[in-house]
Amino acid sequence: MDLVRLSALQRLVRAAAVLLALVFALLPLLWVISIAIRPASQSLYPISIIPTSLTLDNITGVLFGRDGIGLLPYRNAAFYGLSAAVITAVASTLGGYALARYNMKSGEALLIVVLALSFLPSASRIVPLFILFSASGLYGTAHGVILAYAAGSTPLGIWLMAGTFRQIPVRLEQAARIDGAGAFLTLRRVLLPLAVPGILVVATLAFIDGWNSFSLPLILIPKDTAQPYTVALQRYIQEIGYGINWPLLAAGSLVALVPVLTVFAILQRRLVRVGGLGGAIKG
Amino acid sequence: MARRALGRATPWLLLAFPLVLLFLFLLLPYLVTFFYSTTAATIGRLINVHGVGLKNFQAILSSHAPEFVKVLGITAIFATGTLLGSLGLGTGLALALHTVSAGLRSALLAVFLIPWVIAAVVIGYTWRLMYDPAIGLANSGLQAIGLAPVDWLTDKTTAMAALIVANVWAGYGIVLLVVSGALANVPPNIILAAQVDGASYARTVRRVILPAIRPTFLLAALVALVSGLNTFDLIYAMTRGGPLYQTETMALEMYRLTIGKGNVGQGAAVTVILFTVSLALAIAYVIIWRREARKWT
Repeated sequence: MDLVRLSALQRLVRAAAVLLALVFALLPLLWVISIAIRPASQSLYPISIIPTSLTLDNITGVLFGRDGIGLLPYRNAAFYGLSAAVITAVASTLGGYALARYNMKSGEALLIVVLALSFLPSASRIVPLFILFSASGLYGTAHGVILAYAAGSTPLGIWLMAGTFRQIPVRLEQAARIDGAGAFLTLRRVLLPLAVPGILVVATLAFIDGWNSFSLPLILIPKDTAQPYTVALQRYIQEIGYGINWPLLAAGSLVALVPVLTVFAILQRRLVRVGGLGGAIKG
Repeated sequence: MARRALGRATPWLLLAFPLVLLFLFLLLPYLVTFFYSTTAATIGRLINVHGVGLKNFQAILSSHAPEFVKVLGITAIFATGTLLGSLGLGTGLALALHTVSAGLRSALLAVFLIPWVIAAVVIGYTWRLMYDPAIGLANSGLQAIGLAPVDWLTDKTTAMAALIVANVWAGYGIVLLVVSGALANVPPNIILAAQVDGASYARTVRRVILPAIRPTFLLAALVALVSGLNTFDLIYAMTRGGPLYQTETMALEMYRLTIGKGNVGQGAAVTVILFTVSLALAIAYVIIWRREARKWT
């Protein structure tokens, strides 16, 4: 039985509202797809809503064509995102375990500071990181960007991992300790296998953060060949004269959506469950 | 004895790597920025800078193109618009999905959360395409009902509203996610009890459901507000602060001053102001969160 009983009118209103919201949520994406897969000659004014013929020219054009940004920017984004995911997973697992299992006096305070840090979103980091990296020689290096991404994703990761470890019975651990295993061995052999689902979520969120990042590489990576697709796609926008190469920009954006939407589709249930709790942390 | 000392040190050994990472790449940059906000540093001269006290802050407050008060106002409008839009849409959807069957709910939730995982800059491009004067759907819609086309992003009167709509699209997902999580934790008994007592659905929502999720709702509001205050990628991709600074928020202003004009000192000063506002909200957030976390764990 349904939790709440609604009248026929209320059901109608609900259906209409949800449908309207679906249109709002999906229409922009459908329009990007529609522009990306129609011939460039049909992306002109006056525009027809439904394309009369379909083509993959724009997508191959972005990836392999003369005017394309090529595969490299996507590879760069994947490399930065995956590296950041690995570092975030390691740092979050270590930190989450320490804060979940040890009754440190400063542990509580530390968690609160981590929580506050996680709440400060990336825009306010643009200028600070630029200054720090310029002054320290990390400017323009790959590991600089990767560590900056990882540091941004780690606070939420520590929180999620602390939650994961709290759900694993302490007794399992105690048994291992009685058998003579030290803290690190217990962590590696007993806890890690049980914590894999949590680690997977933390790593996935970090990968999505890294893959999606724009402002950090925009200011921290001056070299064209090292930039991720988010920055590289800007070449299709000429601010002066308002000329935008929409077929290629739409195709390039569409390609960028494939990895995140795939990951999201696979881990969706898990991400949603964690998100209900941890999502509140991430601005 | 030595063993016990090691035992006590273990949590700190475990914490060493995450703490160093967080200190160097999250905390230190902010500390450095506080220092630079009191110097005359420029992009070409970041070392051996000389201090100027609070002159950068004075310069910002008395700047004219754009006036800082105007930047503050624009930031406030943008953040408030984002907050109200995301909160309204996210909460409304969460409530609507709360009343459908579990299977349908999780399917709809997955679809509605798609924008949540998309890069802000790609969302910017997506909505810029929607608003494009020549091939955007927004103008096709206007045309279909016989209205004149609008230059959404370059017209002073529409640019801000257009940006807010795009940012609500980017931001309602997190509210939906968090509020859905809270709704799932509301004990069904109190909802059923209200209905047995003959309360209408609207009354049940107002008197029973919303009060039960109030703390989470506040959290979601704070998240939406701070992310609105700090939106950079989306605005940069859509208008770069234009037309004529009409959408120049603090986040864009600090980028423009630092990278565009090379005035690192003033850029740092704007960052300090934005950071302070965000921090104040973060503290409020932590206080609410701690009250909440006790209930959830």
